Amino acid sequence: MTERTVDQIVPGWTAPNRERAATLLAAYPERRSAVMPLLYLASLEHGYVSDDAQREVADLTGLTSAQVQSVASFYTMYKRDPVGRYLVSVCTSISCYLLGADDVLDAVEEATGIPDGESSEDGLFSVEHVECIGACGGAPAVQVNYELVEGVEPDKAILMCNWLRTARPEVVSSDEMQSLFGGQRSFDWGPAEQEGAVAAVPAFGPYGSAGEA
Amino acid sequence: MADRTDSVVSITIDGVEQRVPAGELLIKAAEETGTYIPRFCWHPRMKPVGMCRMCLVEVETPRGKLLTTSCTMPVNDGMVVDTRSDVVVKAQEGILEFLLINHPLDCPVCDRGGECPLQDQTMAYGPGESRFVEEKRHFEKPIPISDLVLLDRERCILCARCTRFSDEISGDPLIEFKERGGATQVLNFPDEPFASYFSGNTVQICPVGALTAKPYRFRARPWDLEAVESVSLVDAVHSKVSVQSSQNEVVRINGVDNGPTNQGWLSDKDRFIFEYLHSPERLTTPLVRAGDEFVEATWGEALDLAAERLATFPGSEVAGLGGAHGTNEEAFAFGKFLRTCVVTPHIDAQMGDGLDPDFVVGLSPRARIEDLERAKTILLWAGDLKEELPVLYLRVRRAATELGATLIVVHPRRTGLDDVADHKVTYRPGQGPDVLRALVAGEGTYAELREDLADGPVVAIVGRTGRGEDPRLAEAVAAFVRDLPGAGIMPVVRRSNVLGALDMGLSPSLLPGRAAATSPAARSALEEVWGPLPEQAGWDATGILEGLRDGRLRAVVLYGADPVRDHPDPTLAHAALDTADFVVALDLFLTDSSRLADVVFPVEAFSEIEGTVTNLEGRVQKVNRLLAGPGQSRQMWSVLDELARRMGAELGAPTAETLAKEIAAVAPAYRGLSWDVLDWGEGREGVVMPTAEGEQQLQYVPVDAATSSVSEGLALHSGRVLYDDGVRTRMAPSLAQLMPDPFVAVHPADAAELGVAEGESVRVVSEHAAVELPVRIDETLAEGAVYVPANLAATAPLGSPQSVTVHATDGGEEE
Amino acid sequence: MSDAPLILTERMDAHPADSHTMERYEATGGYEALRRGLEMAPEEVAAIVKASNIRGRGGAGFPTGVKWGFLPQAMRPRYLVINGDESEPGTFKDRQLLERDPHQLVEGIILSSYALDVHHAFVYIRGEYPRPARRVQHAIDEAYAKGYLGSDILSSGFDLEVTVHLGAGAYICGEETALLNSLEGRRGEPRIKPPFPAVEGLYGKPTIVNNVETISNVPWMVLNGGEAYATIGPETSAGTRLFSLSGHVAKPGNYEIVMGMSWRELFYDLAGGIPADRAIKCWIPGGASAPWFVPDEHLDLPVTIDDTGRHGSMLGSGAVVVMDEMTNVVAAAHRVVKFFAHESCGQCTPCREGTTWLERMLWRILNGEGRLMDLDLLLDVCDNISPGLRWPPAQTTICPLGPSAVSPIRSIMTYFRDEVEAMIVSAGSRDDLEEAPVG
Repeated sequence: MTERTVDQIVPGWTAPNRERAATLLAAYPERRSAVMPLLYLASLEHGYVSDDAQREVADLTGLTSAQVQSVASFYTMYKRDPVGRYLVSVCTSISCYLLGADDVLDAVEEATGIPDGESSEDGLFSVEHVECIGACGGAPAVQVNYELVEGVEPDKAILMCNWLRTARPEVVSSDEMQSLFGGQRSFDWGPAEQEGAVAAVPAFGPYGSAGEA
Repeated sequence: MADRTDSVVSITIDGVEQRVPAGELLIKAAEETGTYIPRFCWHPRMKPVGMCRMCLVEVETPRGKLLTTSCTMPVNDGMVVDTRSDVVVKAQEGILEFLLINHPLDCPVCDRGGECPLQDQTMAYGPGESRFVEEKRHFEKPIPISDLVLLDRERCILCARCTRFSDEISGDPLIEFKERGGATQVLNFPDEPFASYFSGNTVQICPVGALTAKPYRFRARPWDLEAVESVSLVDAVHSKVSVQSSQNEVVRINGVDNGPTNQGWLSDKDRFIFEYLHSPERLTTPLVRAGDEFVEATWGEALDLAAERLATFPGSEVAGLGGAHGTNEEAFAFGKFLRTCVVTPHIDAQMGDGLDPDFVVGLSPRARIEDLERAKTILLWAGDLKEELPVLYLRVRRAATELGATLIVVHPRRTGLDDVADHKVTYRPGQGPDVLRALVAGEGTYAELREDLADGPVVAIVGRTGRGEDPRLAEAVAAFVRDLPGAGIMPVVRRSNVLGALDMGLSPSLLPGRAAATSPAARSALEEVWGPLPEQAGWDATGILEGLRDGRLRAVVLYGADPVRDHPDPTLAHAALDTADFVVALDLFLTDSSRLADVVFPVEAFSEIEGTVTNLEGRVQKVNRLLAGPGQSRQMWSVLDELARRMGAELGAPTAETLAKEIAAVAPAYRGLSWDVLDWGEGREGVVMPTAEGEQQLQYVPVDAATSSVSEGLALHSGRVLYDDGVRTRMAPSLAQLMPDPFVAVHPADAAELGVAEGESVRVVSEHAAVELPVRIDETLAEGAVYVPANLAATAPLGSPQSVTVHATDGGEEE
Repeated sequence: MSDAPLILTERMDAHPADSHTMERYEATGGYEALRRGLEMAPEEVAAIVKASNIRGRGGAGFPTGVKWGFLPQAMRPRYLVINGDESEPGTFKDRQLLERDPHQLVEGIILSSYALDVHHAFVYIRGEYPRPARRVQHAIDEAYAKGYLGSDILSSGFDLEVTVHLGAGAYICGEETALLNSLEGRRGEPRIKPPFPAVEGLYGKPTIVNNVETISNVPWMVLNGGEAYATIGPETSAGTRLFSLSGHVAKPGNYEIVMGMSWRELFYDLAGGIPADRAIKCWIPGGASAPWFVPDEHLDLPVTIDDTGRHGSMLGSGAVVVMDEMTNVVAAAHRVVKFFAHESCGQCTPCREGTTWLERMLWRILNGEGRLMDLDLLLDVCDNISPGLRWPPAQTTICPLGPSAVSPIRSIMTYFRDEVEAMIVSAGSRDDLEEAPVG
């Protein structure tokens, strides 16, 4: 029997993403392991992990859609509802909480006009509170499309949301946001990077990031 | 357990020393020695997961007592276990409390109420009151997840039995855990229902009322049920079942764990077929023909008429067809009636679509289903087991996945086992002998397969891959396999009691007890009891139908036989019954065949009859009676007994058990087998009667004699589907709705040549009929072949010839 | 910190601008350990790690050399999986190692793989760490280009592939068997142990799962010898260790220290004391899972694995979260319990139902709906997750996540029960909430 190729299964995907999918499927001793990275790729293609995206990943990995749904729904970073262009994640776990994270979340809700867990109708923002993002030394911490900003005081959080709304950066970069809105950091970050996020998917080469997609 | 050894170890359970098998799971070892440890997620036929935590016990370790789940802990020598310590009791009470905080209090309206493990264990181990004042978890109340099953996620305790069954046992993981933590739930994917042939098993093993089956919902309360153990007569595996009724109707069939056969599992067809029993279409009175229609008759009138007419023909001009759906006792009565009362040798339980009776009956070395557990290599060269013998499919699947057997599948198209097969050979129907020759020689791409087949024990499951396949091919495969190391062969037979019927002599070449009809010794032994047997050699089903059509035969008795639907040549079957001077049918329904009869007798069916049946291993088991049949329907053998009397003969069948005793006396292979043996003790697993010494040698067809015949046009692969348009399925509404839409599958290359595309309607022409079917492009199909699901209303007229032609319809208009 | 040897953070401290690059790494002795290691027999490299007495830096503190010794002799393939799913609230040390010195980790991976006869290693990095993942991926790409990865590494005949795998938001994947399930493309549900991963791990094959920090130490060990490592610090807490300090301290951050100093020294000498000169009310000594410490009893205890364990807590992942005297400990405990309820995988009953119930009870108390009976109820529900409420914890659960949620509740009930009670009483005890009958 002939196995269908990635190109046959997801002809609608961009050529680079089809190539990435093929690479990911070959990267592991067992095909199923590619489910998680493929869900990120499918999320880039569809804007979120839609039912169609899950079906495609099922086809690519030889799983049933129910199996893919089971995996996708386990992890919080696979968004199964449409997500805004900028996903603002406010850490409210213990260290950030101790340093005023709840006020930061309030500020973000106020600046974006949408409550925790929801997305704006214009598709610009999604807001969520998240559990610890490993930035406790730079509490309170926030991520935009998983790009980190540390030491974000409530007033800076408002400025940041306003900046996202007006500047509409194509690429969201930690370094840029940190320099504009950040404060105390967990540690010295070293030199600034070029890469950043183009969607609410972690910007990582194998899944595509700024300048590559 | 694969890793279980035969050695025995000593462990101490609650202060009492016990001898238990080494490596066995503690929960099982404890149960076998009389200590029941409560559990929800553990199921003896699935891998332990230790999720519900109800089976916590304390085990002594060098570092003190360890609280651990007994379902995940294998026993070892000297283990000291406490199942009722204060710590254990508190932990178990705690688990129950955790399970109950989100469980609704709707026991009074729950199907499970009264037979619910959660309810039972709450009574036995649970806290008296709830300390939980928060709001319970809410989900939409029962949602249909398939046409047969509903899911109530509020009741679900997330033991994952259903999801694990679907993944681990049936291999169709269409339901899975979704979300996580406190939001975890079981669910299917949107628009992809839990359409599994095995979905009912999940309902049965659900420890609460979260999964319910539509055919049973709200039909009965457990304490109202009456039940008997029996075996399913849906197919030749003969899965053990509990048949349960309420208010004189069968309302539920559950699987019973019979280790050698079904291990508790059933197909949904086994489980839900019972609806036909209470169909309004069921025959309730005798019918006699009056011109173009039937009129109801009294038993006396109908019997008189049938006896009188049958007596007008010489015995040799009368034939009998059928007997493969009932019990051995019924088959025996049918054969005895035909051979001693009518005095005809023209008898066949098969419909020209089976295997050679001598091959099936005399097969050696015969494999048992259990042999799959030890098989190193399994060769499956037969129909798609998932469609034909679903429970055997589960056992092969388990062997290939859990037990590490190498699986080789040879078939003209994809099968349900391809995903777990190590090798798959796809061939165009007709070219089987070429494939076999190459396989035997280990030529080219077959070298690896041939090598795997040298690694025994080898179990070969052989049968006709499609209705048109030459039955001699299976024999040729068997002839090759039987010389392989540790070989065992299992025939795939179609109707549920074909083996029993053949064993009872419902074949022109066989007498009861696997004796050759040509054997002088067997004949004379039987004649001592029965009197003279017909001298002449008998004809098989095809011969009988031809004889009827051509006037050499003039009357036929159909017993549960529907040759118009089942014989590969429907034109012949129809002409035969049309031409016959007199047709008597004993049946449950008016079928395409019994509709052509002159007299129809309503007989009793599964759950209404008692007797023995013989499965494809040769395993004899009991079916039991729970209810009386509807209306005036009667036991089949009593109808024959009455007919015989009216024809001046004596059948000697006052009860089914009388027939059983006669079988034990006159059928060599069944000598000494009594119902008592099967009803009690070890015999409850069934008894595989040993092959008698001096048994006939099989005349295998040599490989090179079964020559490939490559037909002109497109070879027809006419394969069985589980929910076909057989009369029982059609009369069971829950299953009838699942009948697939008809189609013709075409290989992409052939489709290109024919100029047809997916979904287009084409005209499929056989020598019997021309039908219009939508095309499905199927790259798993052998090139040069088309696949048509057999016996759907739309496809049945095609029959099963070697080849068909396919034509794009004029104008190419699509609907 | 001045007299402590720096193993992990020396390069990033000295070269903040480019410590993560191949160029700087090589210029500061990088991949020298690899050259030396590849000249040794694999068993020799393994022996060095064993001799170092290093205990795993992920949280459980299991001796790494002993773990490596659990691999069955004959079975191949074997896998090495680096646990970079750092998600324990308060912990951010691996993030720094991944971002600032990824080659140190990569070299450690190659050496460890060589020692273990592993030919495919995986680095599992939490999805919320895209920048660390990019740095590691870049370092791996550089290492391939230089011939440190791939086939026939430095003409030694040794082959190794390394794959970076991103998580997607699930703390539980830091548990090694959950991580393996996740890496296999499944839900991150912990497996029943035994079998342990060393025997039956990734794809059912023998697998070693080690923390980022643990493996980042390996190049130093190979260059300096396992014994040299073992002599650093107290006998059973060998080596230096990265501690993540956060919460109410003046200078939060990661500190590489030799264990054995007191908590007082850690807080006041290294971390600059408590802002606004407030008093410490309590602290979490080793990540959110750890029972809390209070100044009266614990401030002068030495920071070692054993001393912390003897006093009913753990150093865990090295995350220290300090709470000053103004902290509402009920709210803080609720925040920690909420974390565990959110991160419970849901497969086992006591964790799925218990953590959720505990969180809701605390929420009720915080919102003025507490009942005095809730005090004992909280502890009894805790007891049904972690019988006996002892340390180290017993568990009715599959993995330690459930008992982790018990830690903060036990802590506030041990040290601040009067505060919890006062909160309930001041809100007006709600003993009018009815107990519901069981149906």
